[in-house]
Amino acid sequence: MSSQPTGNASSTAREPRKPPHWPADGVTTSLIETRGVSKSYGAVRALEDVSISVREGEFVSIVGPNGAGKTTLVNLLTGLLVPTQGEVYFKGRNIAGVGPVALATRGMARTFQLVEIFPQLTVAETIAAAVVTRQGKRWRLLSVLLEDAEIATRVAEVASIFGLSSRLATVSHLLSQGEKKLLDVASAFALEPQLILLDEPTSGVSTSEKHTLMKTLVDATRTASVEAIILVEHDMDLVASYSHRIVALSEGRVLADLPPDQFFADPLITNVVVGRRGGS
Amino acid sequence: MMRGSALLLVAIATLSLGLVPILAPPFYANLLVPFYGYAIALLGFNLLFGYAGLLSFGHALFLGIGAYAAAVIAGIWGIKEFEVVLVGAALAGLAAALPLGWLAVRYTGIFFGMLTLAFGMLAHSILFKFYHLTGGDSGMRIPRMRLFGLEFAAYNKIELLAGPFYYYCLTLSVLAAFLMWRIVRSPFGLHLRSLRDNAQKAEYLGVRVRQFRLAAFTISGIYGAIGGAILGFRTGLADPELVYWTHSGHLVFMTVLGGFSNFLGPVVGALAMTLLQDQLQSLTQYWRFVLGAILALVVIFLPRGLAGLASDVGLRLGRRWAPSAAGARDTA
Amino acid sequence: MSAATSAFGNILIGGIFHAAVLFLVAAGLQLVFGVQKIVNLACGSFYALGAYFAITFVNFALSAGLPSWTLLALLLIAGLLMAAVGPPIERLLRTVYDRDESFQLLLTFALVLMFQDVFRFVWGANPRSLDNVHLIYGKWAVGDFSVPVYNLMVIGAALIAAFLIGLFLRRTNFGRMLRATAENRAMAEALGVNVRAIYAAVFTLGTLLGTIGGALVVPTAAASLDMAVEFVIEAFAVVVIGGLGSMPGALAGALLVGLIRAGSLVVYPEFEILAIYLIVIGVLLLKPSGLFGKPAA
Repeated sequence: MSSQPTGNASSTAREPRKPPHWPADGVTTSLIETRGVSKSYGAVRALEDVSISVREGEFVSIVGPNGAGKTTLVNLLTGLLVPTQGEVYFKGRNIAGVGPVALATRGMARTFQLVEIFPQLTVAETIAAAVVTRQGKRWRLLSVLLEDAEIATRVAEVASIFGLSSRLATVSHLLSQGEKKLLDVASAFALEPQLILLDEPTSGVSTSEKHTLMKTLVDATRTASVEAIILVEHDMDLVASYSHRIVALSEGRVLADLPPDQFFADPLITNVVVGRRGGS
Repeated sequence: MMRGSALLLVAIATLSLGLVPILAPPFYANLLVPFYGYAIALLGFNLLFGYAGLLSFGHALFLGIGAYAAAVIAGIWGIKEFEVVLVGAALAGLAAALPLGWLAVRYTGIFFGMLTLAFGMLAHSILFKFYHLTGGDSGMRIPRMRLFGLEFAAYNKIELLAGPFYYYCLTLSVLAAFLMWRIVRSPFGLHLRSLRDNAQKAEYLGVRVRQFRLAAFTISGIYGAIGGAILGFRTGLADPELVYWTHSGHLVFMTVLGGFSNFLGPVVGALAMTLLQDQLQSLTQYWRFVLGAILALVVIFLPRGLAGLASDVGLRLGRRWAPSAAGARDTA
Repeated sequence: MSAATSAFGNILIGGIFHAAVLFLVAAGLQLVFGVQKIVNLACGSFYALGAYFAITFVNFALSAGLPSWTLLALLLIAGLLMAAVGPPIERLLRTVYDRDESFQLLLTFALVLMFQDVFRFVWGANPRSLDNVHLIYGKWAVGDFSVPVYNLMVIGAALIAAFLIGLFLRRTNFGRMLRATAENRAMAEALGVNVRAIYAAVFTLGTLLGTIGGALVVPTAAASLDMAVEFVIEAFAVVVIGGLGSMPGALAGALLVGLIRAGSLVVYPEFEILAIYLIVIGVLLLKPSGLFGKPAA
């Protein structure tokens, strides 16, 4: 993954702005960060004082047993939820509750644990939907999509990165499970996000195929404009292979935020994360 | 553009329709005039139903808006230019669709259906009760209007409908269909279909789900109102029964009969229904029963409607004649 | 008691009577929707069927020599008999259970169309009525205010029905299975519940409530062709206000709608049905799950 942004021709890219209340010495290049974020649902405290940041060029994994708060954290990071306390910043802007649509245009994409597709759209159309957003052509009511060369070229590019070129005309519900997963990710990539959040991308995939899938994903990011990846995963092998840093959540709190070698060297941490991990 | 064979079929159909006033007695052309009204209204309805996935049980509201707009503009204000009425109806449809749509598209599925049903019936009761304004159940008269400024004084009403007005409507329908075709094939149309298939994922790809649903609702309202104006011209009357919920049910019926997953399906449905209803009414006074039975059969056995059936048959024939041609999927 | 109070009393009882009948049909709707997730547009047709048949049945029975005081029993029997259309219709609907809900809705709409002509064929286009036979039960009078005992009987019957339904759902095994299927069909099936039998039973019960409702109303109202399509709207209003799938909701909603109709007759007659639609729209916008429904829309 390149540590330099690859030709960010996006008209929606913004320079990170310094929010007024940051400490004077805290100039940061973090792409996304949470500062002291807590989230309660009534009496239930899902997250407690979580501060993490992901900088350009980083691959950060979020791990933890079920119920540790990973989903809540992901929903906060993707602007779906408003924190009860603390703030979430993406490219310097507060994104609390902004919602997925706004973030899709601002450079963040997300894939889903349970594969999400458009059953009646073809592979090409699915990718094109993202490209349309990216190229700002949403409100074009009267131009015929098929005749748009810009969109078609980009769709072909993305499809070939993910090995879906031969399936462009296939309707999504006819794809195999693995192809659907690839499509889910491919369409997210077609948004040319700076940050991509992979939510358990290999769940439901056989062990032998997990590494192939991850390799395809990570290779793809090298050719795309992705600057950082956040991975939520249960499979610690994958996490160990790809991450620059691992963030472990336990009962709503950050247990550890370390590079893999330090992470796995600490028996206390691995016990909590690996030992108590129930029902992958 | 459409596949060559489909385009050819459409051309032939349009040509055949164009020949009706010339080759057949005026009765048939007169019979087909409301078909055009429904065809336009249904093209709009299906943008909402087939493409955006929202089933409205109150779409007849817009037919009523169009008809009453015609009554007000041509009848009360005395502006008898049909072009003005069409624009007026479209604006009225827009004005109604925006607030109603804004409220309704916050929901999907059954709640959307019920809310639109309620809106339609609310309009019905308003039109019915406030008879000082709306003429109550007698409705409002829609006088004869001028087409392109021409009075056609030599023609009586039937001749006007079966002649100049017929071609006027045919042309209008072709234009409306062409416009809708482009909308449906546009990037906007793609986003619409994506939010129909999976609204959550669509949001993550930057699709403005609520806004686009509202846009679809509004466009469908405008088309509905234009259809209503045509219906009004023909009957000469705007009455509350136009917006009764069963009329909305008939719109859905026609759409499903023709096939909602096919662009021209609803148009086929409108034509089939117009001809069918006429035939049945001359055969038996219990034509509603037969229609109901047909709807039941279509729902159970023919979910893709007549157009779907035709396209399946066409594909099978095509495969027999050119077995090597890749069976392209029916473009939705 | 003053004339105004007795007028008020009349209207109140009228409203509650209407609510009683509404409740019966709405309860049927709620059952079918709650368990099968089908919105039955033909509920109004069942109502009309019960009404029309009751008129025929009662006229036949009375002219055959049965005494007038058997009226209530006759009406209930008439409703019961017409519930026989339930199982075959359910069998028909079964063909589209696994399809999109729009198809189910359309199939019930097809039934509405068909029933309209069945009514026209069997009973003609003119409204039919029973000429005040129900007055055989006399009137209950308090000062100037009097109400036909029949109306009170119907209100009582509805309350008993509500109680029985509640009992049935909560205390019997069948009721429990019903609620389980409503909550989670797949789970219920996995636990060995015969979902197919439940669906057939529920739909028939829903039909029965509809036909009985229609039968009970005919002494005081005429049966007409419009009945079926107009009643659907009111029944739906009740269901929306009360909350889709909720029995207490059906009761509360029916009472509300019945009283509003009665009330607006006094205040502003034009406003009558408008008021109901506005409330339906209001509920849908503010709390779509209705008064008693579960929040998940």
